[in-house]
Amino acid sequence: MALRSLKLPGVGTKYEFRTDKGDTVAIFFTSTGTIQMYTLQKGCKSSSAAEMTPVEARRLGNILTGAIIEADQESVEIAFSALADLRVTIHTFYIPESVAKKTIEDLQIRAKTGATVIAVCRHDKNIINPPPSFAFEEGDAALVIGESDQIKKFESEILVK
Amino acid sequence: MEGFIIALFVCLVLALISKYLSVPAIPFYILAGIVLGKAGLGIVQSDEISQFFSEIGLLFLLFFMGLGLKLDRMIADPKKLLTAGIIGLIVDMGIGFTAAYLLGFTLIESFIIGTAFYITSTAIVITTLIENRKLMMKEAELIIWLEVFEDIVLIAIIAILSSGDKDLLYFFLKIVLALGVMYAIAHYGKEFLVSILDRDDETPILFTFAAVLTTAALALVFGIPDSMMVIALGAALATTDPEAFEQHARPFKDVFLVMFFVFFGVTINFTAGTDLFSILILCLLAVVSKFISGMLIGITIYGSAMSGLEIWANTISRGEFSIALAVLYGSAVVGTVIAALVIFTTIVGAFTAKYSTWLRRGLTHRSRRKALMHRPHSSR
Repeated sequence: MALRSLKLPGVGTKYEFRTDKGDTVAIFFTSTGTIQMYTLQKGCKSSSAAEMTPVEARRLGNILTGAIIEADQESVEIAFSALADLRVTIHTFYIPESVAKKTIEDLQIRAKTGATVIAVCRHDKNIINPPPSFAFEEGDAALVIGESDQIKKFESEILVK
Repeated sequence: MEGFIIALFVCLVLALISKYLSVPAIPFYILAGIVLGKAGLGIVQSDEISQFFSEIGLLFLLFFMGLGLKLDRMIADPKKLLTAGIIGLIVDMGIGFTAAYLLGFTLIESFIIGTAFYITSTAIVITTLIENRKLMMKEAELIIWLEVFEDIVLIAIIAILSSGDKDLLYFFLKIVLALGVMYAIAHYGKEFLVSILDRDDETPILFTFAAVLTTAALALVFGIPDSMMVIALGAALATTDPEAFEQHARPFKDVFLVMFFVFFGVTINFTAGTDLFSILILCLLAVVSKFISGMLIGITIYGSAMSGLEIWANTISRGEFSIALAVLYGSAVVGTVIAALVIFTTIVGAFTAKYSTWLRRGLTHRSRRKALMHRPHSSR
């Protein structure tokens, strides 16, 4: 494994990473703000590229750091192998119109599904541990924690009616 | 003034179109200037205001070039770059100069056309490399550094051209002195400069704008070319916090440089006595000469004609620096030639850069097929 980084005038910073098996991954943080990732398979002549926004790049980075066991579209399952293989799923949901204006208490989320809303993201602001009196708005992103069955129940009983 | 607003609005529309099609915008701006100006409809005239804005555009272009000259970040293999750079310089400038001279331009005009012919557009070349996702190509790094090499050559040429008819020793003494003062300010005032740049109110942007304009004004007072001094200012400030200066200077550069391109187009006058034939010859040669230099570089550095093809395909576009030369030193005739050169090469360059991979693939396929047909065991 060999990593080298260099600054290219006018372009930005380049990180090149060669795996032990001889494949190459290169990442360019361009001065335009986008991030380009190139992969070149060993023995191949032309590389393939993906262009990402900083948010997308960070998401990819999260996947690569390996905290995630099973990555659904917007869902993360974490396994604590020391605690009898405890598995916890965290899922993000976008609040539809049908749930807007209702509070967590009104919806009886815990009683009906067993899942808990641990955070809500509204217009780029995060509300951590919202109280029971918290009222949703349409377009909020809710972070829900629970077992995967509880998450499924949350989706079917609370969001889809 | 109305003309200025019209030009601004047309540019905005063109910028949107060029970004949508992801092609370089510079030829569009010049064409818009030609259509709106003297040579076309005559709606927009060049006046004091537009000249002032164009000049600011040019100053900020040169300031940016200076900021890019950070000498501490050097290429891994300077010898390779030097070889490639010198091949390009000799071939492209040689062909451009000779062709212009043979077509009847004066010695100094031919020199300016030759330089404009040689200098590629850093902005276009680098953006197309990024947009066409070619940064990982093995030739990309060399191409990027070649742009820096060309910048350094351009600075030397500006120094030579602007010294022109003056007392050489006295002239260079003044430049060296001014450079020394600027580096001293950047060196001893570094903490103060950085503290200004770190503020998040209007001071950093005001400071950047004022620094560039003041330097240009002072240069004129002392009889030194302002173009040289602004580049030197950029190079001196690059030792403090170049990223911050780039960030604060970018809005000025972006807006005023567009004005610079448009009003360059506006002042183009086809009745100035250029024949279409020599323009056409020079445009075609501009593409051909980059092919020759690209091939030579590809074969010397990488031992492969395919690399040469890739270098050629990505370095055809001439742009901002060629126009800057035309505005600073060129006559009306030279201006027309360079305008045509820039428009022609940027259009050809946009296509070759986009489709070079296809071109390469097509060529390798053909040779592979030939190789297959000549396989010894196929004729048993």
